[in-house]
Amino acid sequence: MENHNRIVAAYTKHLQHHGTPPKTVHALCEELALTEREFFQEFASLDSVESAIWRDWIAGLCEAVANGAEWNEFSARHRYLAFLFAFAEASLDKRSLLLLRFGHLAPVASPHYLKGFEACFKTFVAGIVSHGISTGEIADRGPLQSLYPSILHTHFRAVIAFLLKDESQRFERTDAFIEKSVAFAFDLLRTQAFDSAFDLARFLAPSAWGKTA
Amino acid sequence: MSAQETIRSHRLDRMAALAGAGARVGMNYLKHYGRQALSGHADPEQLQERNANEVFRTFSELKGGPLKLAQMLSIDQSLLPPAYAKQFAQAQYSAPPLSYPLVVRTFRRELGRDPKEIFDSFETTASHAASIGQVHKASKGGRTFAVKVQYPGVAESLRSDLNIVKPIALRILGLRERDVAEYFKEVETRLLEETDYEKELQSAMRLSAACSSHANLRFPEYHPEFSTKRVLTMEWLNGETFDVFADGPAPQSLRNAIGQALWDFYAHQIHRLRIFHADPHPGNFLISGKNLCVLDFGCTKSINEDFYAKQFAFLDPSLGSNPPRLAAAMESLAILLPTDTPADRARLMALCKKSLELLARPFRTGHFDFGDPAFMSAIYELGEENRKNDTLRGMQGQRGSADTIYLNRTFFGLYSLLSRLRAHIDTPLPEGLVFSD
Repeated sequence: MENHNRIVAAYTKHLQHHGTPPKTVHALCEELALTEREFFQEFASLDSVESAIWRDWIAGLCEAVANGAEWNEFSARHRYLAFLFAFAEASLDKRSLLLLRFGHLAPVASPHYLKGFEACFKTFVAGIVSHGISTGEIADRGPLQSLYPSILHTHFRAVIAFLLKDESQRFERTDAFIEKSVAFAFDLLRTQAFDSAFDLARFLAPSAWGKTA
Repeated sequence: MSAQETIRSHRLDRMAALAGAGARVGMNYLKHYGRQALSGHADPEQLQERNANEVFRTFSELKGGPLKLAQMLSIDQSLLPPAYAKQFAQAQYSAPPLSYPLVVRTFRRELGRDPKEIFDSFETTASHAASIGQVHKASKGGRTFAVKVQYPGVAESLRSDLNIVKPIALRILGLRERDVAEYFKEVETRLLEETDYEKELQSAMRLSAACSSHANLRFPEYHPEFSTKRVLTMEWLNGETFDVFADGPAPQSLRNAIGQALWDFYAHQIHRLRIFHADPHPGNFLISGKNLCVLDFGCTKSINEDFYAKQFAFLDPSLGSNPPRLAAAMESLAILLPTDTPADRARLMALCKKSLELLARPFRTGHFDFGDPAFMSAIYELGEENRKNDTLRGMQGQRGSADTIYLNRTFFGLYSLLSRLRAHIDTPLPEGLVFSD
């Protein structure tokens, strides 16, 4: 475990200093006075080091939020908000790293080292969504609701994009953005608007492909 | 009002909301004239009331700047038809809440800990809304607190809010921009100041200490240890809202005692301290037993000796019968300008004499019955007359001092509150005010 942490720390430091990951496993090992054997006992590749950094960060965040004193009393909307505010707070320690990795990304594409991060987020919000459905806060839409985590993930990426562009004092505008956009998103999940939009899309889609029903 | 989950913030969003109110006001006019056509008569007051409802609903949905603007307009009732004023006065009591996680976020950011770590208990839903924040009830060690939490980014969005709202508000309310330009500037200045809770804390502690020996007057105890720029903590006070008390069955003796406390509070601040609570709005007071509680010091105004002397020279009883002295007093505050024609000069002096006769009346008699409805309606009429007076509006030049605006607003608010209380009180000339012969 100690080697694991040392590797992660050295990788992060290199990324922050140079703006790029270490070039080879060998270079990293030399820096840490580790053998390659020791490195590969912990990680399969340099990419998997980076993947672990992001996944562990968000997993830790999710766990901390879900262990919060008031979590069980929170509605789904409040749970999601609590997560995003915790994320905004935690991002202050990682802002330069976030800028490096998320700064230039379109909110839809994900590089493979972020897959774990993404999967972890989606699992977490799936829990929030099923809590919301059980209390009636979010409409039960059968198989369609498997899309909810992806929708919320897109929203999450928009929050990150907003946060990284925010230049207001102490990033207060991000707080306001989170509050307002979550209110909007949950209004959509709750009401008929979402169903109507889906219905319209289903109606229009065949004709868009030239196959009028 | 139902809890709204969204706070409109985007410029376009706000524009749309305001345009909606305009449209609904328009519809009400259509209905009004339709009814007139059918029945041959219609009730204009009913129409105004309905329009006021629409405008009010829109403003309160917007929160922040517009809500505050509505309050500011409501206090200067001479600017507004009575039906609008009544609706706007409610703005103090109803506005949409912030989510609890955002309150927690603000606490962590400001005080480094969760509200429930700091306090033994903390109510997750706001007990009431303030115009730029909301108030939560909390307790610790057997004491109860009112914790005011500010909306994030309020200060930043204020200016853009007001710029959007201004032309539309003027349109809806039928006001002309140059009549209220100073007014809007004042709103902006005051508003920016009100977003700084650290400043409010200082004003509150200073003024409440300086007035602590007054009878029938109470201030909450402030807690700097739980206060920052965005969070303000004070003692929780129980009591009746001013409106409920004023419209309720309170006996005359209690009304007089509360009214006297209010008068003395302002007299002491203005004439002694030269800094005063400049927002005498019903929502800023509570009545608890025999005490008047002053809750909100977000808006304070200080005046210097020079302005004070010039302004209160108008209380000189001899001005009414001594035109050169009146002219000198008016010139000293630039109400009369050297460029005025003799006709304009005469008109302004006549107007000033008339206003003085009315507004200084409580000081003349030494005690005054604010329960006489004729007094407030005379003030409204005077305001109405001035508003409709086109020659007055046509006069060129920036007149008077910006300080006068705050002071007038305070006196107007004070008189309004006292007349709501129907209080009969002592109203002596300020001590130490000497008029040379």
